[in-house]
Amino acid sequence: MSKQTYGLVAEFDSPGTVLQAAEKARDAGYRRWDVFSPFPIHGMDKVMGMGNSYVGWFAFIFGAGAFIGTMGLIWFCNDYDYPILIGGKPMFSAPMSFVPSYILLVLGAAVGAFVGMIALNQLPRHHHPLFGSKRFGLASRDKFFLAIGANDPKFSEMEVRKFLEDIGGAHIELVEDND
Amino acid sequence: MNRNQDKTPLPPPLNLSGWRNLPLVLMVIGAGLSLAGLAVNREEFGYSWLLAFMCYLTLALGALVLVMIHHLTDAGWSVATRRVCEHIAALLFPWLALLFVPVILLATHIYRWLTLNPASDRALSAKWPLFTMPGFCIASAMFFGIWWLLTSRLRSWSLKQDETGDALCTRKMRFHSGWGILAFAATVTLAPILWMKSLEYQWSSTIYGLYMFAACGWTALATVYLVAALLQRQRILTDVLHGNQFYFLGVMFFAFTLLHAYFDFAQYFVVWNGNIPDETFWYLIREHGSWWWICMLLIFGHFFAPFILLLPARAKVTFKIVLPLCIWAWLMDFTDMAFNILPASGLNRGGYPFHWLWLQFGCVAFMGGLLARVFLKNFSSHAPYPKRDPRLHEAMGVNVEPDEMADTIPMREESL
Repeated sequence: MSKQTYGLVAEFDSPGTVLQAAEKARDAGYRRWDVFSPFPIHGMDKVMGMGNSYVGWFAFIFGAGAFIGTMGLIWFCNDYDYPILIGGKPMFSAPMSFVPSYILLVLGAAVGAFVGMIALNQLPRHHHPLFGSKRFGLASRDKFFLAIGANDPKFSEMEVRKFLEDIGGAHIELVEDND
Repeated sequence: MNRNQDKTPLPPPLNLSGWRNLPLVLMVIGAGLSLAGLAVNREEFGYSWLLAFMCYLTLALGALVLVMIHHLTDAGWSVATRRVCEHIAALLFPWLALLFVPVILLATHIYRWLTLNPASDRALSAKWPLFTMPGFCIASAMFFGIWWLLTSRLRSWSLKQDETGDALCTRKMRFHSGWGILAFAATVTLAPILWMKSLEYQWSSTIYGLYMFAACGWTALATVYLVAALLQRQRILTDVLHGNQFYFLGVMFFAFTLLHAYFDFAQYFVVWNGNIPDETFWYLIREHGSWWWICMLLIFGHFFAPFILLLPARAKVTFKIVLPLCIWAWLMDFTDMAFNILPASGLNRGGYPFHWLWLQFGCVAFMGGLLARVFLKNFSSHAPYPKRDPRLHEAMGVNVEPDEMADTIPMREESL
C-alpha cells in the first residue's frame, strides 16, 4: 500500500472564523476544499459556491418511473394480459389507476431521494482519510475544520500550510491517505 | 437560499402614472357592460355577477388566512407582505358585502331552489330552513359579520402598532387569529356551499370546503407575489423584502397548486368511484360540449403547467416564470369558478357561454376596478408594511442579538 497525501486540515474555534477562512480559501482560488462543522453554518453553502443538490433529480426520476411503471402494470394486467369484465366497468381507467400509481410515486421518490443521497455522498464507506487526524473527532463536538485536498490544482504542501496559518488555522496537520 | 436581487441590481422603478386611471376606467366600462347585461338577460347577469364575486371572494379570503397563519405561526418573514394581505382581506367588509347585494336581489333568478316547494323535493326539504330566502339572507349576513369582525380587528391592531409599537398589539392579533382560524374554517366551507354549490342543491361533496380553501390560498398567494414584486420594483418594500420572501411565497404558491389539485381530484375520484346518480350528474353536465375542454384546461392549466414550471427551486424566485404564472393563476381561478357556477344554469348546459363573455368581463372589470380603487386608497394612506412590528428585523434579514448576549455570540451575518 502506498502512502499518498490526502491534504492539509486546519482547526478553527468558531463558526465565524471558519466562515471567514472559507471565504479566503475561495478567494485564493482553491477548488478542492471542504469545511467540517458540528452543525450547519448559515451562509456556508453560499461561500462555498454550492448549488442545489442533485438529490431532487433522483427523486423525480424514480418517482416518475414508479408512476409510469405502476400505471403500465395495471394496464398490462387488467386490460392486456388477462382482461376480465366485471360489472361492465372499463378494463382500464385512469382515475382508478391514479391512486395506487400516485402512492407508488411517493414511495419511488422517497427511495430515489435516499438512494441519490447515499450515492452522491459516495456511501457507504468504512473509512475516510480524515479519520487519521487525531483532532478531527472534535468536528462533531466543538471545533471547526477546513481541509484543502492534495488533488487541488494549486496544492503544494508548503504554500497551503502557510496559507492556513495566515487565515488563522490552528493545529495544521498533514493527512495521509492509506488506501 | 436564493437572493436573486443580490446578484442582479433591481431594475429602475416603473412609471405607473399612466395606469392611475385604470381602475376607474375598468369600473366605468364594467358598469356599462353589466347594466347592459342586466337589461338583456337577468339570469345570465346573475350568474356572471356571482362568478365575478366568487373570484374576488376567494382572493380576499385567501389574504385573510395568510394574515392569520402569519400570527398563529409567529412568523417573521411574512411581516413584509402582511400589510398587503390585511388590506386585501379588509375588502371583505363592507365592499364585498355590498357587491353581494345584487346576488340577493336576483336570488330567485340564480338559485332555482328558491322557486321550488320544499315539500315536493326531498333534497330540498332536508336542507330546511337554511335553503329558504330568510335562511339564505341570515346565513350570508352572519358570514359577512364574522369576516367584518375578523378583518377589522386584525387590521386595526396592526395599524395601532404602527403608532405605539406595543407588543400587546401582536398578542391581540394572535388572539383574534386563534378564534379566527376556526371561524374561517367554518365560513370558508359554508359560504361557497351556500352561494355556489347550492346552485345544484341535490349534489353533495364533503370536500367542497377544502377545495374552496385551496382555491382561496392559491389566488391570494399569486396576488401577493405579484404585488410584492411590484412594490419591490417601486422601491416601496425594498428594505424589508429580503429575497427569501419570494422563495417562501413561491414555495407556498407551489404547495397550494398541489393542494388544490389534490382536493379537486379527491372530489372527482370519490364521485367517480361511488357511481351514484345523485352525485355523478354534477360531473356529467360538466363533460358536455365545450365544458369538456374547460375540464382539460383546468387539469393542465390549473395544475400541470404551474406544477412543472414551479418545480425547480430556482424557478420559484425567477420573476420571468412566476409573474406570468400569477396572472395566469387569476385566469385559472376564474375558469375554476366558472366551471363550478355556470353549468348550473340551464342556459349553459351545452358548453361554456362564450357569447356571454363580454358580460362576465364586465362584472369582473367593475368589481376589480372598484376593489382596486379601495385597496389603493387604503394602501397609500397607511405605512406599506407594519413598520414597528417586533419581528420586522427578521423579515429584513438583520441579525439583532439580545444585548446581554452580544459578547458571547460571534458575528456571522456581516458577510452575507
